[in-house]
Amino acid sequence: MYKSILQKIVQKSPWLYRINAGSCNGCDVELLTTACIPRYDLERLGCKYCGSPKHADIVLITGPLTARIKEKVLRVYDEIPNPKVVVAIGICPISGGVFRDSYAIEGPLDQYIPVDVNVPGCPPRPQAIIDGVLEAVEIWKQRV
Amino acid sequence: MSFLKIILRNLRQGPATDPYPFGETFTPDGLRGKIKYNAQACVACRMCEHVCAGGAIRITEAEDKSGLNFTLWHNTCAFCGLCQHYCPTKAIRLTTDFHTAHRQADKYNYVETGFINYVVCRRCGQPMVPVVKELLSRVYGDLEGPTKAFVNLCESCRRQISTESGVNKRWTEESKR
Repeated sequence: MYKSILQKIVQKSPWLYRINAGSCNGCDVELLTTACIPRYDLERLGCKYCGSPKHADIVLITGPLTARIKEKVLRVYDEIPNPKVVVAIGICPISGGVFRDSYAIEGPLDQYIPVDVNVPGCPPRPQAIIDGVLEAVEIWKQRV
Repeated sequence: MSFLKIILRNLRQGPATDPYPFGETFTPDGLRGKIKYNAQACVACRMCEHVCAGGAIRITEAEDKSGLNFTLWHNTCAFCGLCQHYCPTKAIRLTTDFHTAHRQADKYNYVETGFINYVVCRRCGQPMVPVVKELLSRVYGDLEGPTKAFVNLCESCRRQISTESGVNKRWTEESKR
C-alpha cells in the first residue's frame, strides 16, 4: 500500500542528473538553458536537477567519453540507484560525432552504459532536449 | 512605483515560458534541422561526403551495380550545413525539423537515404549517373544544336564530341577574354 502510493508519486517527479563525459560544454549550456531558465522551464514536467547521483532518476550524459574521464563516468553512473533512465545528449555520446575514431575517445557511450534515449544535435535545440526528456519520462513511468 | 509598471507589463504580455511541448514553439527559418535528400537532383559529385565534418554521409555503389546508395546517419551529423553549402544542385537541404529525439532501438535506423539509378549512355552504353541540365548548361551554355544530345551521354562521350565538333570553342574563347 505504502509502496504503491510512493510509486505513483515518484512517476510524476523524476529528478535529473547531468554527467559531463568530456563534453565541449555546448550541450551542457543547452541543458542549463532548458532546465534553469523560465523560458523552457523543464520543471513543468516535474523534472528538477539534483546535485548528487544518489538522488537521480534520469541521467543526461553529454560528451564523447574521453579516455581520461571514462572510469570516473562509470563510477558515478554506478552510484545512481536503479531503476534509472539514460539520455545521451548530442552526437558525441551517441556516435563520437566529429571526434569519432580519435585516440582520445573511448566511446560511443552505449558500449559501456545502456542508453535509452538519444538526442542528436551539435548541440540539440532546447526543444529537442525537452522531447528527449519527455521520452525518458515515459520510459521512467514503465520502470518504477 | 516602477514595479507597478512591470506588473502591468507582465499582465499584458503573459508568461515568458515557451509553450512547447504542450503547444507550438517558434522555429526560425534558418534553423538547421534534419536533412532532406533529393536523389533526382543529385549528380553524385561526392562533395557532401568530402566536406561532412562528422563523416555522416556515405555514397556507395549498390551491390548489383544498378546505381548509387546515399546514406546520411543523423546520429553523427553536426547539422553544420556544409553539405548544403557545397552542393552544386541543392539536392541536399537542411529542413527546420528539430525533433531529433528517439529511442535507442531506432539508433541505427535514424538515417536519410536515397538511391540514384544509373542510366545508360546513348552512345557507348556505359552506365552513368543521370545528368542535371543546369550543371551541363554551365559548361556548354544553352543546350541548343549539337549539345542538345549531351543530356543522354556519359562524360567521356561528351568530352569526345565537344572536342571533335568544337562546340565549346565559343566557351573557351569567352573564358580567355
